[in-house]
Amino acid sequence: MKDNKFLTMAIESSCDETSVALLTEGRNVLSNVISSQIKVHQAFGGVVPEIASRHHLDNINTVLKQALDEADARLDDVDLIGVTYGPGLVGALLIGLATAKAISFSKKIPLVGVHHIQGHISANYIEHKDLKPPFMALVVSGGHTNIVDVKGYNEYEVLGRTRDDAVGEAFDKVARVLGLGYPGGPLIDKISKKGNPHSVEFKRVYLEKDSLDFSFSGTKTGVLNYLNSQKLKGEEIDTAGVAASFQLAVIEVIVNKAIYAAEKMRKNKLVLAGGVAANSLLRDMLNKECKRKGIELFCPSPVLCTDNAAMIGCAAYYKYKEGMVDDLTLDAYPNLPL
Amino acid sequence: MNILAIETTGANASVAVINEQKEVFFVSSQDNLNHLQNLMPMIEKLLENCRLTLGDITCIAASEGPGSFTGIRIGVSSVRAMAQCLEINTISVPTLKSFAYNISYEYDGIVCPILDARRNQVYGGAYKWDEEGNCIEIIPASAYDLKDLLKKLMPFTLDNEITFFGDGIKPYEEIITAWSKELQDISFNNNMRIKFANDDIRLQNAKSVAKLAYDIYKDDGMKSFWDLKPVYMRKAEAQRKLEEKLNG
Repeated sequence: MKDNKFLTMAIESSCDETSVALLTEGRNVLSNVISSQIKVHQAFGGVVPEIASRHHLDNINTVLKQALDEADARLDDVDLIGVTYGPGLVGALLIGLATAKAISFSKKIPLVGVHHIQGHISANYIEHKDLKPPFMALVVSGGHTNIVDVKGYNEYEVLGRTRDDAVGEAFDKVARVLGLGYPGGPLIDKISKKGNPHSVEFKRVYLEKDSLDFSFSGTKTGVLNYLNSQKLKGEEIDTAGVAASFQLAVIEVIVNKAIYAAEKMRKNKLVLAGGVAANSLLRDMLNKECKRKGIELFCPSPVLCTDNAAMIGCAAYYKYKEGMVDDLTLDAYPNLPL
Repeated sequence: MNILAIETTGANASVAVINEQKEVFFVSSQDNLNHLQNLMPMIEKLLENCRLTLGDITCIAASEGPGSFTGIRIGVSSVRAMAQCLEINTISVPTLKSFAYNISYEYDGIVCPILDARRNQVYGGAYKWDEEGNCIEIIPASAYDLKDLLKKLMPFTLDNEITFFGDGIKPYEEIITAWSKELQDISFNNNMRIKFANDDIRLQNAKSVAKLAYDIYKDDGMKSFWDLKPVYMRKAEAQRKLEEKLNG
């Protein structure tokens, strides 16, 4: 298929999705194959690192071949390899990295390590072809909750982060105590549509005045305490109502902080990213608030919200364009800061 | 014919090339457990040292395990991806058997590699070189309670010297020494000879992996990278616990 367009191949394996993608000119996705392990980990109620690592190894070469086939491309056509090098589960990351490095070495293709969060933000460049920095970004996922001032393609300042659980983590834990299963985000989103979000008023945690940081463990404990007290009183639990109330308490804080950050830093664009960006309440509330404040809101489609390699490829492309290339000693960094 | 061999299952990673004449070229890393960072640069250096390019490599051998789960995966995934790129075959080398190649095929004792698997277990097996220079597995490679492996070794102690290899020596040397003393006392077996391999040949290394790969290659044992699989010899801890729970 090679038609002189710059071809990027990317690999993502930081958690429980094995993904390989091919893109031209950084934003045009030719293939984005995602092999999810959700079913494997459901039996354990969460991602088990050793099992995730084993599955990544089992899957990666098949995913790679499928991505090449779907793009009608050959490894010889590839101009750049991007790979997630952190943050994430170290055993999972290293499968993608070992594979990317072996390809880079065997085919003499330049290699670029990508920060997973930079990837999530870049998903929006794929979805919105005219989007360019600067803008404010809200990154919400199973492992991350960040408000990021995006000043350039490779220039970021993290203005707010979670001090305890990531938002997706809090969703998972609450879903577990409500007996909804795993993963918690989509399940809570779904059942909340049938519940009254004001049936229980859980505490909204804003921390210090002006702080853009988050804390969800208090709200989560609030849910646990409420459930215990209901049980002691022998009262039936309205699962949908509790889920909806918890979801509103968490999402309301996130929306208010994101809007506050955009206004404070005088950004007229707000970009949403990460797995929890698929949450319907979050999207609705952000939509309304952004409209009210005259801020333009950008969201990726659901497939680009979850972990995927296309977003990593896009980020790698913009790093490469600014001369940021890695060598074969590239390592995995489970706690890589942005 | 040139086989590239990769060993990443233990604390030190190494790479080697073996050619038709059985000449072995070798590069190792002293950098403990940083295999992901070191592997490709080591291969680069190795090829440079023996003036070969990747195009000269006939097939790539990976030490399949057992050993460090993470180490096994780095080796296997790197070899698979390289073979996929270069469109060549692979050789899956049983890590425990490769220890027999740490010592000469003229050695007439028993090679007993033991790798520390914690929880009083070892990954172990036993091997012996026969008169034609073939390496014979006399106790199958597996995860054992140390005492069970020693029990299996007992019948061989009467007329064989036994040399232990592997990182399992360090935690279990005292237990093994005590076992052999006790055995001598109760069996009046004065010929019992137990040895622990010297440091320079004690651990797994790519030279031995290359030599065993050579023999597998000559036996038509190459396989597609699609069939190159890690050999963990143990389930993931969470999997084991879940199955225990489900089976009561």
